[in-house]
Amino acid sequence: MFNYFHNHFQAFNRALVRIFSNFGSSLMMFIVIGVTLFLPSSGLLIVENISQISNNIVYDAELSLFLKKDIKQDQIDFIQSALNKTLAVKKTHFESKLTAWDKLQNKLNLNPIDTGISENPLPDAFFISLNTFNEKEINNLIDNLKTIDGVENIFFDAGWIKKLRSILYLLKIGLAFLGIILIIVLIVVISNTIRLQTLTHKDEIEVSKLIGATNSFIQRPFMYTGLMYGLGGGLITICTLKLTIEIFNKAAINLEVMLGGTFILKNLIWQQNLSIIIIAILIGCFASFFAAQQSIKKLETFK
Amino acid sequence: MINFEKVFKRYPGNMDALQNINLEILPAELVFVTGPSGAGKSTLLKLISSIEKSTSGTIVFENMNLSQLKAKDIPYLRRKFGMIFQDHKLLYDRNCSENVSLPLAINNIGGLDINRRVRAALDKVGLLNKEKIMPISLSGGEQQRLAIARAIVSRPSILIADEPTGNLDKEYADEIMNIFYSFQQVGVTVIISTHELPITPIKHKNIHLIGGELKDQTNYVQLLS
Repeated sequence: MFNYFHNHFQAFNRALVRIFSNFGSSLMMFIVIGVTLFLPSSGLLIVENISQISNNIVYDAELSLFLKKDIKQDQIDFIQSALNKTLAVKKTHFESKLTAWDKLQNKLNLNPIDTGISENPLPDAFFISLNTFNEKEINNLIDNLKTIDGVENIFFDAGWIKKLRSILYLLKIGLAFLGIILIIVLIVVISNTIRLQTLTHKDEIEVSKLIGATNSFIQRPFMYTGLMYGLGGGLITICTLKLTIEIFNKAAINLEVMLGGTFILKNLIWQQNLSIIIIAILIGCFASFFAAQQSIKKLETFK
Repeated sequence: MINFEKVFKRYPGNMDALQNINLEILPAELVFVTGPSGAGKSTLLKLISSIEKSTSGTIVFENMNLSQLKAKDIPYLRRKFGMIFQDHKLLYDRNCSENVSLPLAINNIGGLDINRRVRAALDKVGLLNKEKIMPISLSGGEQQRLAIARAIVSRPSILIADEPTGNLDKEYADEIMNIFYSFQQVGVTVIISTHELPITPIKHKNIHLIGGELKDQTNYVQLLS
């Protein structure tokens, strides 16, 4: 077991030597990977921030809670206090049936005699602003409110949320496609670089094969080189994202002063940053494995 | 140890490199494969070490039929041989010690054992004082000795040398041959291809090839003493 890790350590060392002995071209490769991954990552950053911005300045989810016509004031007070105690409720507005009827008549210029409506057809109602967009939480709240005596109907204004979610969903699909295309581009670029490296180390590969090296032994240093390309590229992506956010946020402060509202971009969370690095490493490993395998096969004499 | 039975090797373009070869190599034998250029000497060695595959016939080594060997088993077979080439095939970006340690790394031998065995191998070929020197700084004879050190470091039971003295003058060539004889004396099977049969006091076998055909297979007992 010790020898196994020792050999991996040796391969890792050889990969490090290769990276540093051609530091200029290695740096170029880091930058190519970093910039390529920056495109979908910045898209992800924008989508994540749009969700937050829309929460802050655009819209609160609303419930319309209509009460039974024969409801008594005690029950209305009870419902009001129950709503006030509910965490998901941001604020409530009570609209009595008399006020609502007056407003409707004024708005539509109605005369009860002309319309033939002898009594107020509207119910008392609560209009509730929510402090959540979470569909599960909202559905739970609706289910709870329905159990309260005196509640006739509840309507949930989901239009905005659905539109917003549709847009974000489309953006995410677009980003996923962009990401896949760019990953393919990266695999091709890294494969080509590793293929060139295998040509540079052709003698070493040939000698190693002649004296009994397995393909995985020969591939190992190339895999570690690919891993390091991925790691370097991933780190450049993260740094570029942070730099972009800093620059944007400095400019956004002026915009806030002029327009009000919040335009500050927030960083990706550490799990997302870690995912970007892991994806970059996997791309590097896969591309180098593929390229080295192809090159080694071409050098095989025993056919 | 190694048996050839009706072995043919044909390269693309219908060029017959070996035809109907039947021979046997015994353990701890010193074998010279002789013949002019194009006789098939290198091809014979390549078939033994599974660098090439025979077109037909059977090659048996330690009860393994090399003609039916799977690609994944080839590296493990090659580890049983110590291979020496006319052009040395050294890695010129690594020093002597690193060149010699390569087979050990391939054989998954690590740690302190590597250093000890590398030094022992270099000592055997008289290069112990040149551990950290790059091969490019060595003379032709020293480079070939370094190649021998690399071949013996993993203690193979068979040494295969393809024209190991082809590029060396007589003094260096004798030095290299003496190293091979010393290994044969301790029980290693040594197979050497060469244009001409060297004069040696040691019992040996000569496999003489001409135009891909086996013309002679003679055992020579001690001629000189």
